[in-house]
Amino acid sequence: MFDFLWEYWAALFPAALGFAGIYLLLPRLDRQYRLLGAALGGAGLLAAGWFLVENDAVLPETILFYAFSALAILGGGLMLAQHNPVHAALSFALVVLSTCGLFLLLAAPFLMAATIIVYAGAIVVTFLFVIMLAQQAGLTSADQRSREPFLACLAGFVLLTALLCVLQKNYDTHKFDALLAKIQELAQAKTEKDVKRVLGDPADRPPGNMSPPLFAELEKSFVDFDRGKADLLLIQTPMPVAKLATFFQDFEEQVQRARNQVGALQPAADLPLSSFSGLPPNKELAKGKVRHEMPARNVAGLGRALFTDYLLAVELAGTLLLVASIGAIAIAARHREGLR
Amino acid sequence: MSLVTLHNYLAVAAILFALGAVGFLARRNLIIMFLSAEMMLQGVALNLVAFARYRGNLQGQAFTLFILTVAACEAAIALALILMLFRRRKSLDVSLWQDLREPDLEPIVDEEPLPAPPEPEVLPHLTPAGREPDHPREETSHV
Repeated sequence: MFDFLWEYWAALFPAALGFAGIYLLLPRLDRQYRLLGAALGGAGLLAAGWFLVENDAVLPETILFYAFSALAILGGGLMLAQHNPVHAALSFALVVLSTCGLFLLLAAPFLMAATIIVYAGAIVVTFLFVIMLAQQAGLTSADQRSREPFLACLAGFVLLTALLCVLQKNYDTHKFDALLAKIQELAQAKTEKDVKRVLGDPADRPPGNMSPPLFAELEKSFVDFDRGKADLLLIQTPMPVAKLATFFQDFEEQVQRARNQVGALQPAADLPLSSFSGLPPNKELAKGKVRHEMPARNVAGLGRALFTDYLLAVELAGTLLLVASIGAIAIAARHREGLR
Repeated sequence: MSLVTLHNYLAVAAILFALGAVGFLARRNLIIMFLSAEMMLQGVALNLVAFARYRGNLQGQAFTLFILTVAACEAAIALALILMLFRRRKSLDVSLWQDLREPDLEPIVDEEPLPAPPEPEVLPHLTPAGREPDHPREETSHV
């Protein structure tokens, strides 16, 4: 039990803080603990951000990621805490807009536009219409009270910590960070001494096992590492440091990509996958080619994927929309008596 | 070189999903319950888009478009249903529909009554323009 707590406290602590905050913030009749709840929730958010920051380098992408995620989570918390349904709908619009920012960071511009139009433009506005139609005067118990707030928060907390612990266990990048630091050092090596500092002196190793332990580790990780070539470079006697450095420079991007993808399960190699939706993830690349993170022509690629691989699904989705709009009219139409 | 990993996006999506789940379970306003469900969908969409980016193909994005379609349909039907429910009970409180629960469950009873709504403030009326206010004529001497 304590081992578990010790191992996963980085996930457990912010989640516990956040849900204590949400529990205090949920609507109830006495509002005296709302400030405390807001403080606890904010502390949980800060703690989560603190534990997620893994290195000191500050890039625009990192700043934008943290800003949009913080806004999204803040909007979600505000939505749960609002007594007024109009304010809750506006907080939901905030969640949608920040998620759209995250979509843009994830190289999905079409989805960003579509989500803003459909969610913020249509759904939230329609919800606001309904709220106005159904606006009641004064306080109602629908907005002033919560249903079983403690049990609901406990369920949410258990769900969240389970998800975060699984994520932490499967997507641990610390091993890759250590590897990456060593590779970057090798790529910038100027003299033989630099190389020996990272890899250890080959003369110290037992005969018959020339290759340093780092190479064995690299071979075991997800990247396609040419160990023979590295070994060959290493054992030449004036050591070709410049060649070694370029070898590792070429290799650095691969390790970076592998670090970003750690834990992502790839499909089996013999599974036939369509190539209309981008390069299939299980396809072997030709020598010297690198796998790009996204197809460059993203929107065009998405259109091609929709109208080749997913053509039937697109047709079905269109039918679903038609049926849903007819159904909505049929449900909401006010039948006059005797007119049925 | 990017420092934000798949893991970070999945964590944010998990938080959004859990917040939506808490909202759906705890709030009693029908509309906020449906907004919470939409927030859970947003978390799932974020997951799919992140997987698409870090795998380098577009399948996740295509799935997210279908999520969007289904969310739009769901919103249309849900709003029609909410309007119907509101017409029957004249309230958006979901607890008024608890006679639909399982027969062996206890009903939820609100113990504390709601505080009385504040009295509408009585504002002083101004006299309409162009008419003399009725006030007692005082006997005044102008001498």
